[in-house]
Amino acid sequence: MTSAPLSSLGRAARESLFWNEATETMPRARLDALHLHRLKSLVRYAYDYSPFYRKKWDATGLKPQDIRTLEDFKRKVPITDKSEFIQLQQESPPYGPTLALPQEFIVHHCETSGTTGLPLGIPYSMIDTVRYGESWVYGWWGLGIRPADTLYFAFGWGNFAGFWSAYWGARRLGCRVISGGGLDTKGHIQAIQRLKPTVLISTPTFALRMAAVAAEMGVDLAKSSIKFTYHGGEPGPAALPAMRAEIERAWGAKAGDILGIAEVDALAPGCPNGDGVHLNEMNVFAWSMDPNTGAEVADGEIGENIVTSYAQTAQPLLNYRTHDLVKRRSSCSCGRSWTKFEGAVLGRTDFMVTLRGTNVYQTAVENILAEVPGVSMHYELILTREGDNDVMTVRFEPDKAIVDKRWLWEEAGKEAAQRILQALHVRLNLVPVEPASLPRYELKTKRIFDQRPKEFRRALDR
Amino acid sequence: MKNEDLAVRIRQARELLAPAINGCESPQIETMVRSADMELHLALWNLGETVSLRPELDYAEKTGH
Repeated sequence: MTSAPLSSLGRAARESLFWNEATETMPRARLDALHLHRLKSLVRYAYDYSPFYRKKWDATGLKPQDIRTLEDFKRKVPITDKSEFIQLQQESPPYGPTLALPQEFIVHHCETSGTTGLPLGIPYSMIDTVRYGESWVYGWWGLGIRPADTLYFAFGWGNFAGFWSAYWGARRLGCRVISGGGLDTKGHIQAIQRLKPTVLISTPTFALRMAAVAAEMGVDLAKSSIKFTYHGGEPGPAALPAMRAEIERAWGAKAGDILGIAEVDALAPGCPNGDGVHLNEMNVFAWSMDPNTGAEVADGEIGENIVTSYAQTAQPLLNYRTHDLVKRRSSCSCGRSWTKFEGAVLGRTDFMVTLRGTNVYQTAVENILAEVPGVSMHYELILTREGDNDVMTVRFEPDKAIVDKRWLWEEAGKEAAQRILQALHVRLNLVPVEPASLPRYELKTKRIFDQRPKEFRRALDR
Repeated sequence: MKNEDLAVRIRQARELLAPAINGCESPQIETMVRSADMELHLALWNLGETVSLRPELDYAEKTGH
């Protein structure tokens, strides 16, 4: 009988600095050749299996055989947007013509948060879930997380794709999983003390929230069993150095994060250098577009990330608008050849803020306010930072109908707050102000006032 | 083992599995063997090999079901 310790991986694999060095460091020319082969297959597949793409492309005369180069793909395959998918799903729920596979191939359903209006349904086949999970593992391995680690998931699961996919990744890595499930913040802290996990999986703001509650409990999480924290769902350590410092100090751990888009993939795991994320080019093809002209922008310039996912065969996404503004770089000192997004997401083409893990779009709030009796069209959205959370306050002028009935101003605010909570799942502060007290603009009205410390804003919002 | 040699071995393994998938009468065993083939397909995909987008489509093309 051997005395060698049992391990889930052989020695050479255990000592690798990469989850898969062969592809993570693959030369650009070979990566591009692979993308072309895979994109051709995907275009053929989408045309043959997705009624949505066949109809859309037939209307423009595009045939799969027209795609011979990467340039052809970028220029000829029409851009798609979430709104198209949502509309078709609404007309014919749950997925309408966006589904490319028979129902029996669908093994999991998730949804987007619905903060832009309506939630997008996301079907996954078995192979989709496996590919999606892999994206997390590249980042974990690069950070130092190994099969012997124990991941503590500090969130309620629901239909949120982000952390389900992290679970799929944990299954692949082979580490132990502990679900915090429906525990409250104090319960999570007690569970960590009792079960001694080594990795915290959560949104970054919740990691800070836990640290604050732990301090109130007299618990120093920097002395806990946690060695790593890993985050998704909102701007995290790769985008906000101040947040990284705060998390790492509070937890006495190394922090990492991933850029994910629920309906696409956990598409860009964090770079071990901590200053950005690398596109998982085994799962996703991406290029950057000037959102105003539609032209491609070069590496080093800021553009909208346009993605095509190989990890979504149940509901294919080709040349899909993410509305994320990124700055691409083709090389990195970490050794990965996969495209790097410096600082992860630098901003949004449609202004969006994340409040307690929920993405909130300016337009979504405005759409609700427009329907509330007593709230006029004169209002401002003020963003501030209170403790570890971003806070949004709506300052509004009362509508003409209630200008003279001051006692109704507060009621209008409460009604608006209630409708926003119901539709967007976030609590905003609604504050009535004196009629005609807010500034008027001749051109575009300035609605958003970001008063957060600049280190808590994305680079382009500073 | 070099990645090229690894890829050859994995392709051989898939060839060996194909008749087991097609000849299965047990849903349990067929599901398991299909799952094994999917993993081998993904191994090739992640070695940068030019394999199809979805292994299920390979069966459909070869067997008509």
